[in-house]
Amino acid sequence: MAQSFSLKKGWRDVKTIAFLTLDTLFWSKKTLFVCLLSLIVLGLAVVGRVVLSLNLVPTALPSSQVFGTLMATSVIRFLVIFVTLFYGTALISEEVEGKTLTYLFMRPIAKPTIMLGKYLALTWIGAIMVLPTVFMSYMILYLRADMRPFFEDLGVLGRDIPIVLLALLAYGSFFALLGAWLKHSILIGLIYAFGWEGFVAVLPGFTRKLTITHYIQSIFPHGDTLSALSMLVGQRTETIESIVTLVLLTAFFILTASLVLREKEYVLEQ
Amino acid sequence: MTAVLEGRSVSKWYGQVIAVNNVTFTLEQGVVGLLGPNGAGKSTLMKLITGQLQPSQGEVTMFGERIWNNYELFHRIGFCPEQDSFYERMTGAEFLAVMLQMHGYDDAEVARRTDEALETVKLTEARDKKIAAYSKGMRQRIKMAQAIAHDPEVLILDEPLAGMDPVGRHEVIQMVRQWGRDRKCVIVSSHILHEIEAMTSTILLMHNGQVLAEGDVHQIRDLIDKHPHNISIRCSVPRRLAEAIVGFPDVESVKFHPEGDGLTVESRKPDDFYGRLPGLMLDKEIELEEITSPDDNLQAVFHYLVK
Repeated sequence: MAQSFSLKKGWRDVKTIAFLTLDTLFWSKKTLFVCLLSLIVLGLAVVGRVVLSLNLVPTALPSSQVFGTLMATSVIRFLVIFVTLFYGTALISEEVEGKTLTYLFMRPIAKPTIMLGKYLALTWIGAIMVLPTVFMSYMILYLRADMRPFFEDLGVLGRDIPIVLLALLAYGSFFALLGAWLKHSILIGLIYAFGWEGFVAVLPGFTRKLTITHYIQSIFPHGDTLSALSMLVGQRTETIESIVTLVLLTAFFILTASLVLREKEYVLEQ
Repeated sequence: MTAVLEGRSVSKWYGQVIAVNNVTFTLEQGVVGLLGPNGAGKSTLMKLITGQLQPSQGEVTMFGERIWNNYELFHRIGFCPEQDSFYERMTGAEFLAVMLQMHGYDDAEVARRTDEALETVKLTEARDKKIAAYSKGMRQRIKMAQAIAHDPEVLILDEPLAGMDPVGRHEVIQMVRQWGRDRKCVIVSSHILHEIEAMTSTILLMHNGQVLAEGDVHQIRDLIDKHPHNISIRCSVPRRLAEAIVGFPDVESVKFHPEGDGLTVESRKPDDFYGRLPGLMLDKEIELEEITSPDDNLQAVFHYLVK
């Protein structure tokens, strides 16, 4: 009985923190920037559509290939990373800079619960900012008089969405950890995402397994897209192993972020 | 009987800088003033007491329990921080409601306590106004409201009078005194002696991270009366105010601010001056924007004490 009450209270606390964080994140300047990034992705989808419609390339490209390329390069390697980087690193650091963390820490809520609530908000806002762009890109590339490809490839879209969500979860947890732990987390995050992951992706051997992107590329269904190029120098990891690894990494990063939040002293400058 | 708050040889340092140095204290119910100039270590001590920081050395306990990461204790603590920071997009009522939800109250109880706290700090009319649109005094009050809304047994108020108008100051002082009478343990910090004196006669005097003196405020009062006290006033018509106060026997000098938005008064009897000021402002139809007191004089008293 006491345990169920405690679970109920814990879930209520998670939701309270999540709504509070969602409101703060959504109405920040970051959202404007993320919207601009989404527009860039949609602009690229429009360019893809024009190329398809006007037959500007010598070989006939199916919409699925253009969509797959867009998903691999612009959505997962660009939009998802920026969304999780900007919002994820801000989860704690924005409360520290805004000096509002005191209000949360002075409540009878365990700090890991605060971290979970914030992470839930990050996942929500990530989905809110990324998934509409994915749907709209799909529509831009597929909507035409002949609607058969639109319906035939809905399965591809259905497979892509969970992968995008998994990428949001994994990158989000990693950047949330950086934000809770380090002062210049956004810079470290940029170096990781575009330096380390970009560099290691073309190296043969085991090191590529030390990136999140490797496991996401391994489960990506578009075998003929640009993402496959980076696999030329190394093998994909099995789908199940990749999914399990991504889930475990997410859990590990969130657990570590919770411990950091629990043990770290945040000094709010007067 | 277990003390409400106890600190045993508490020290806190950041790298080479010692913020609190080997402080020992025992606090019971009632109001205690934590007095010291800026940088004395008051805020650090308050953060140690509220479990926001953990001591580098020594131990702080509340009701016999360690505070750091002891979440259940926060049902019993209310903290009003010094910093003027909020979730600016929220209204006052929304802010209090969210803070109360985190205490586990159901919706009806959250609503009841929100109303009660707003009423106590006299913000009922501004409840649906965004905090971003609140004046400095209103922001100070809503900060107090979040500290008292869950009816804690221990209240820790870091510079609660900073930036408040005279009427607001008077109200907060009355509230603090009432909480003391209600047998709550209230710790209130300030770098201005007469503010503390208006709330309590029991003080903990801090300087350079150490507790210099503990006990009755009157001995300190005797020292400070020998030194002029600076009071900085920002108001709508500084010249008119200067004309009105320059002849007062307790006013040593009046200096206009270079920006032209106010003046600094030097007084040997600051309490008399503060008592007279609200009526004077009303009579002369002068709008008060801010009243502050630089700690230069208190600093001088501390120099006396540490010599």
